Amino acid sequence: MIETKKKDPRQSNPDVRRYIVCPSASGEGQGAMERTFASIETALAAISRENEVANAADDSNTGGEATLALDLIDKLEEADGQRNKPRYRFFYDTHLMGSDGDGTERDPWPDLPSAVAGMTELHQSGRLALDPGDSILLSRRQIFTSTSLERRRKIKEAIAQYVFMAMSLSLVVPVVAILAYLTYKAWPVLSWDFLTLNPQSRMTAGGIWAPLIGTFFLVLISLLMAAPIGVLAGVYLNEYARDNWYTRIINLAVVNLAGVPSIVHALFGVGAFVLAARCGESLLAASCTLAVMTLPVIITSTREALAAVPMSFREACWNMGASRWQTIRTIVLPNSISGILTGIILQVSRAAGETAPILFTGAAFYLKVADKGWESFFPYGLDDRVMALSMHLYTLMTQVNNVPDEIVYGTAVVLIGLVLAVNSFAIVLRVYLRSRKKW
Amino acid sequence: MTPHIQFDNVTVRYGDQIALDNIALSVPEKSILGIIGPANSGKTTLLKCINRTIDFIDTARVDGAVLVRGENVFRMRNVYALRRRVGMVFPLPVGLPMSIYENVAYAPRRAGLHDRFGLDALIEKCLRQAVLWDEVKDRLHSLGTKLSGGQQQRLTLARALSHQPEILCLDEFSIAIDPVTTMKIEDVLLELKKEMTIVLVTNLVQQAHRLADQTAFLNDSKLVEIGDTKTIFMEPENKMTYEYVTGGFG
Repeated sequence: MIETKKKDPRQSNPDVRRYIVCPSASGEGQGAMERTFASIETALAAISRENEVANAADDSNTGGEATLALDLIDKLEEADGQRNKPRYRFFYDTHLMGSDGDGTERDPWPDLPSAVAGMTELHQSGRLALDPGDSILLSRRQIFTSTSLERRRKIKEAIAQYVFMAMSLSLVVPVVAILAYLTYKAWPVLSWDFLTLNPQSRMTAGGIWAPLIGTFFLVLISLLMAAPIGVLAGVYLNEYARDNWYTRIINLAVVNLAGVPSIVHALFGVGAFVLAARCGESLLAASCTLAVMTLPVIITSTREALAAVPMSFREACWNMGASRWQTIRTIVLPNSISGILTGIILQVSRAAGETAPILFTGAAFYLKVADKGWESFFPYGLDDRVMALSMHLYTLMTQVNNVPDEIVYGTAVVLIGLVLAVNSFAIVLRVYLRSRKKW
Repeated sequence: MTPHIQFDNVTVRYGDQIALDNIALSVPEKSILGIIGPANSGKTTLLKCINRTIDFIDTARVDGAVLVRGENVFRMRNVYALRRRVGMVFPLPVGLPMSIYENVAYAPRRAGLHDRFGLDALIEKCLRQAVLWDEVKDRLHSLGTKLSGGQQQRLTLARALSHQPEILCLDEFSIAIDPVTTMKIEDVLLELKKEMTIVLVTNLVQQAHRLADQTAFLNDSKLVEIGDTKTIFMEPENKMTYEYVTGGFG
């Protein structure tokens, strides 16, 4: 039995056949209403009688209206008045051959006579509590409409989907807000000149060429070191290493290295590259420090890309007598190169954005570099200190007086723009390579 | 005459679990050995010992000797040469992510065959032997992974034949192939028997009956019985074998 909360189908469906039960009426079929009965029993009896008549005429049990309504009222005059929601809803389903049911939507009665019998039994045992104004609704269950259980599940599904969608949309909001605010503040200085001119007048005018090219070289040199080492280490760990204590120690080291804060990397860089390796504070020392910082992530992303190539490909090659290296070169690497490249490119933006690791290892507040000619493209030697965008931004913010706001915001826009551009390139590359995926 | 393949009391363990228990059998040259047995009875492990791909399973430990032409495979220096002498087909089809042509050319290229005409002829021969040539001859350069499952399995067979092995191991090759193609490939196997020794692991008992010269019945990691196919199917010594081949096992 279902105590229903649903919308009253009588409002929307004019095909409901109504039986009115009015104790004050004396007989049956009285008055203005065609089907008016003195008691529920007589109404139920009339239902099965009409059903038999319909069957005799039609010889098919599926004919007739889908829904019957039994309305209990006090006075005949109220027959057309507003109704409460039906107190009980029962179902029958003629597609269920002969199985018993209890009239609920999940387990309906198999046909109309057994529905009448079921309702009679419920009524006689006193389990139908009906007050005037209440009604019972008996519907033929539709095969291709959802049950109430399925409807509830569908609602939950929709709610979950919208919650998750709202969460992911809320990620976009800060990005757009930051970009819009920065661009708005930096608008007056944003021009080609801002990129290509060196800082002038104690950094209160001019552009950002010197730090821009410095960042470029820092990223380039650090990745030239980190990418080969990281990729080869990833290949070893995924393709060759057995699961033993040695491999586990390496894995542990990689994970821990990835978790080291960048300022600690900076101190390590000072000790290892600036002092021990006698690089001094230089482009080389700063690049090495950035390389150490990006290495574990490159290793991890390489391993993941390699692990995505199905094992069965390797086994097929081994079975044909290919060595591990032949298999890696001909099958594994060509099919994982997209993932490996994406991992490396994402490290570009990380290396470009970090300030702490280069703070003590090679970044300079201000350097005078060539304004024109080929020298302006190679302003720093490996053993020179460099300017970098992230460091430049920090300097402008905290160390220099009377810097116009636009220049600070402009520097930030260029930095964030670079990062976004590199990330977008990684995404485009991945989409392109994935579209060529061969299995 | 030395048997082509010989198992001398081979025991294989995966960690503590025994996968093959003291197996001794021998396969004469240019014959078909059918291996039948329920799941998890060690059939695939047995095949992996022949071309030593069992090496790739870190936990596996092998005792005893597998001899190919009298030479212990576990003592061989050049395991790649051994694997090129053994063709292997596993139950699930694997199309390598390259063209159909390159799939079959993979092993010959690795072995140093770069001659264009030699490759073309070899590839046509292998694809014909695998009953795939007629279906793919017009699209040899489309992706092997885009073929249907049954076609990919025949491609796998063609690849196994591409390095011209002297032993062919088939592990339930017909699981993804329709019955008509299966029958065609069975005819091919009988043809191939003139050139090579075939070890056929199968769940279709009747397939072993049709093809095998010798049949071995494995159960629970042990070799229950090996003998002429006729003997195994008509009057096996072991009651379990009789029940398995007649379908009353378990």
